[in-house]
Amino acid sequence: MKSAGSNKVVPLLRALAVLSAVAVIACWLSLGAHMGWSQTRVPAYKTDPITETTFTDYENRFLPGLDFLGAGLLGAAAIFALTLLIPRSRGEKLQ
Amino acid sequence: MKRCASAVAIAVAILIDGQADTLSFDFEDPRGVSNVAFSLDAPLESIQGTAKGLSGSVNVDPTDLTTATGRIAVATKSLVVPNPLMRMHLLSKDWLNARSNPQITFEIRRVAGVRKKGANTSEVVVTGAFSLNGITKEIIAKADIIYMPGRLAESSNGKFQGDLLVVRSDFKIRRSDFRVRPGEFLDKVSDEIALSVNIIGAAQKL
Repeated sequence: MKSAGSNKVVPLLRALAVLSAVAVIACWLSLGAHMGWSQTRVPAYKTDPITETTFTDYENRFLPGLDFLGAGLLGAAAIFALTLLIPRSRGEKLQ
Repeated sequence: MKRCASAVAIAVAILIDGQADTLSFDFEDPRGVSNVAFSLDAPLESIQGTAKGLSGSVNVDPTDLTTATGRIAVATKSLVVPNPLMRMHLLSKDWLNARSNPQITFEIRRVAGVRKKGANTSEVVVTGAFSLNGITKEIIAKADIIYMPGRLAESSNGKFQGDLLVVRSDFKIRRSDFRVRPGEFLDKVSDEIALSVNIIGAAQKL
């Protein structure tokens, strides 16, 4: 029973790692592929029609940056690395 | 005696007339248009942000800009950068210490070098006392002054009558001059800070 469970965990974790990496990349790309730090306030540039003064307004929304992408991919890599630590042979011997 | 009285009357008339031309422009901006943008360009990181919490007033005769006196203040805690962690660091005790130094101020000491650029637009050279992080330094900067008579009604949806005064200026300061972590983190936070001032004052007429 135990060995069968271990055998299923490895592909599951690997699938989770790949899915996480894909989801993180997709999220980063779809939300603007911002090359700087993640932002929680996104600047929007406007011009006052009366004085013709340009000013910045901030929209409160999340814009993932390279830190988000890096942390996400690192997390996915950590999950994948974990699968390498699970001994396969032990499960096979127990069978 | 009669001649003396006439001279005094003329002097008083000139004085009153002179005072009547001086307008007091309030720089508190409920519309949120006035702003001071700041930019730091270090080798590893570029930081851009704005400050909008403006207050203060300037007294000036729009026909003679050298008469300008006054003080403009920016609330330190109104400084915004898009990254929340960066903003937290910026306002912290180690950087701008917003709690102990709640305002960044500029007090006009002298306005000179007035050069007309248009009917109501002039370029001036302003000398003033700039205070940041509890340190005050003299700054000399060029500024464009745009006087907009009778335009307050438009910007206040007809609530008030009066004039607008737009001040635009770009100048640079060094954080080391104001003891903001001098010589530290120069690869990520540049010493030189470029400031772009775009502020609007309103003089209400009754």
